[in-house]
Amino acid sequence: MRRKHLLSLFMLSMGVALLVVATTVGVASSATHKVNAAAAKGGILKVNQSAGTFDTLDPQLAYVTNDWNVLDATQLMLLNYPDKSGSAGNVIVPEAAKSYPTISKNGKTYTYHLKKGLRFSDGSKVTAAAFKRAFERILSPKMFAQYGIYDGLDTDLVGGQAFAGTGAFTGKPTTKHISGVKAKGRTLKIHLTKRVPYFTSLLAMQWFGAIKPNMKYTNSKSGILKYPSAGPYYIAANNLNGYTVLKRNKHYHGFRPAFAKEILIHNLTNPDTSMLQIEKNQVDFDMGGVPATYAGKFAKQYGVNKKNGRFHVGVTTCIDWIALNVSRGSTQNTKLRTALNYGLGRNQLINILGPFAGSPADQVLIPGLSGYHKLSLYPNNPNVSKAKSVGGSALSGANLDLYYNGLSQTRTHQAELMQSELTQLGAQVTMDPESTGDYYGPLETKGTKYNVARAGWCADYFDPFDYVNVNFDGRSIQPTGNVDYFYFNNAAFNAKMDKAAAKSGKARATAYAALDKTLMTKYVPLVPYTVDNARYVTSNKVHNWIYSIYFNGPDLNAMKVG
Amino acid sequence: MTAFVIRRLFWAIFLFLVATIAAYVLFFIIPTNPAALAAGKAATPVVVKHISHVMHLDLPIYQQYWLFLWNMVRHGSLGYSFVNQLPVRGLIRQDAPVTMSLVFGGAVFWLALSIPVGIISALRPRSILDRSAMIFVLIGISAHPVWIGLILAYLIGYRLGLTPISNYCPLVPSHSIGVPCSGPLQWFEHMILPWMTFMLLFAALYVRLIRATVIETMSEDFVRTARAKGASSGRVLVQHVLRNSMLPVVTILGMDLGLALGGAVFTETVFSLHGLGQQLITAATSDDLPVVTGILVFACIAVIVFNFIVDVAYAWLDPRIRLTT
Repeated sequence: MRRKHLLSLFMLSMGVALLVVATTVGVASSATHKVNAAAAKGGILKVNQSAGTFDTLDPQLAYVTNDWNVLDATQLMLLNYPDKSGSAGNVIVPEAAKSYPTISKNGKTYTYHLKKGLRFSDGSKVTAAAFKRAFERILSPKMFAQYGIYDGLDTDLVGGQAFAGTGAFTGKPTTKHISGVKAKGRTLKIHLTKRVPYFTSLLAMQWFGAIKPNMKYTNSKSGILKYPSAGPYYIAANNLNGYTVLKRNKHYHGFRPAFAKEILIHNLTNPDTSMLQIEKNQVDFDMGGVPATYAGKFAKQYGVNKKNGRFHVGVTTCIDWIALNVSRGSTQNTKLRTALNYGLGRNQLINILGPFAGSPADQVLIPGLSGYHKLSLYPNNPNVSKAKSVGGSALSGANLDLYYNGLSQTRTHQAELMQSELTQLGAQVTMDPESTGDYYGPLETKGTKYNVARAGWCADYFDPFDYVNVNFDGRSIQPTGNVDYFYFNNAAFNAKMDKAAAKSGKARATAYAALDKTLMTKYVPLVPYTVDNARYVTSNKVHNWIYSIYFNGPDLNAMKVG
Repeated sequence: MTAFVIRRLFWAIFLFLVATIAAYVLFFIIPTNPAALAAGKAATPVVVKHISHVMHLDLPIYQQYWLFLWNMVRHGSLGYSFVNQLPVRGLIRQDAPVTMSLVFGGAVFWLALSIPVGIISALRPRSILDRSAMIFVLIGISAHPVWIGLILAYLIGYRLGLTPISNYCPLVPSHSIGVPCSGPLQWFEHMILPWMTFMLLFAALYVRLIRATVIETMSEDFVRTARAKGASSGRVLVQHVLRNSMLPVVTILGMDLGLALGGAVFTETVFSLHGLGQQLITAATSDDLPVVTGILVFACIAVIVFNFIVDVAYAWLDPRIRLTT
């Protein structure tokens, strides 16, 4: 080949090469950009659940934090908590509703108007009937449980008792629908029997999200496993003994994000291997949180709540307490109950739960709740002399049945600590471990033989009614299924609770603050000891960690991975 | 041989009936009210009575058992879970491959380790290898499988990063939702640590057993005769010693495969393998009687089948067995 042709050929080759390189780099840049964009929106969020598995993801049967955490990602609510950090995330704002409800002058009728264009994950429209169906399933006697009764929904709604088969209709429900809940097109009207100041907050519970109007009733404990939903995600697969998979709902166009393309939850994982997987970035986080034995290590390794950090600690709405059975034996005595508030060590009980487990508490209401005022009535460390002087003869030689969860190492250690402290106070303690896996069954049964038992409460909704009235109104006591584990029923206190529940605004806050103090100084049916924290560790792929105080965990739909 | 197999088959059927009667009595007769468990928290007495009728609990016991057996044999049905009303048969079908992978794979590993180590220990008694093998035996017998599993997960999976730390991938490739990994390679990778855990548990015992039987067999007259006739050491070992030494090993293997189904729960828990062991724990703690009964029946059948296979293998290995039984 002649030189000039060689040169031409060389230049041509170089040109082709440059073109190829430019194209490749362009593709790579584009790919990198796409990868970065993918990190912003996309990827699979891999989650373990070492606390066990979901009780159920059926919205009207779910009643534990982890269930609600997932339902928060899949449900479309009339009003909902935005995915924001701190107090901004605790203010409910309209989601499916165009605005806050119109409330009648007498406070008994709530009207919601839905936005246009709302759809379920299967493409079908969301109408007011979707929300009406939720009310029916939370109260229907055809469901495995009628959880709406626990929050008094059957008495609050017009026609509630006739539908649920309670009150005057006990065992004989007479209606197929709740007459007080009316749905027409995109308008939902709810008629109440009385003014319920916390009703708007109540409807932000996961029980009241949009469900298909033909979603069946079920008497299965785990409910309906898979169904179309209208939130940022929907349940694509649900094996409670294996994997639960959430996929992005392409029909959701609301304000809530859905960053990960898919959320893959592995149930029933081992907590120790789960922590190893997260440290190795094979899994992104564990819904069961960080076991007590790992908290100190992760705090040291990653710091606590650092920006883009990996170890996160957040306060919850949960308060742990030692319930005292006021209907039985030695714990019927108020002086003894007061003495236990001086004699049991709050700090010591918290220490067993590990570093960053919680903050000491000596009252029922928690910080941030309307009506909360720090009381500082009792010490955080045991004051044996004060306890003995308050308890007097009631404490010395008192027989106490100490009931605890024998299957939990942590709770067993707490029980052993309490046994030691109670013995020091002069009581005779009988240890009563529960080893069948049904810890709450005996507690919920009237006539239960325990005197002292660890229990607690997490918010159903942000209102002091949920902490005080739900737990301490003895008129709700039934043969089984009780929440009032103290079996406390005082007519004067009941009347005060009724008055406080009817108030609103500042008056309500003042009334509940007074109830909180009265409970802990005059009746003392419990020993509160901590407001719990939640502790989580994440992989290095997780970004945009937004912690929800309400769900005691991260907003799954807002998490970015990649 | 045929007559022997038929006799063993009838014995297996008899054992199956005894096992199912025991399971039914334990879980449906003794508990005070299975219908109440099935009915749920808020169930009224009317609902409980209705469910009792649906579950045939209002019939005489022998009729209840007959229906239970008929459903099992004729329809292959083991009932429905109280918790999620899914067929128990389906749950077992889903979980059994995981446990089978663990048990059979573990058995292959433990035999592959214990046979050569046991033989070498027997051929070189009181050597360093023999003593090391005995220390290994002691650790294997003493250590809890949970501890072994966690140590392996930490050292090999986490520190060295040589294997996945936990989880299970099905052997058969699948693109179903809720199956994040599958295929032979992924299955094998994810099963290495569980197999090693299982292997260490049982290999320890088998090394000791094989060592003892080989030493005993080597002192037999027929072995001395074979040597005297000029057979090489290798030939003596393979043709004469091993075949006779394996008889007790085969017997124990059959029993251990059945027991291993129960022991698998620890390994399944550590490595988050959703097998029958873990399913059994979940069902037992949530009072899900049909699932517990179903797994128990399945395990009984598995043990009966394994022992049947062992008996036949035993008869094949030793012709004297078929003639005398």
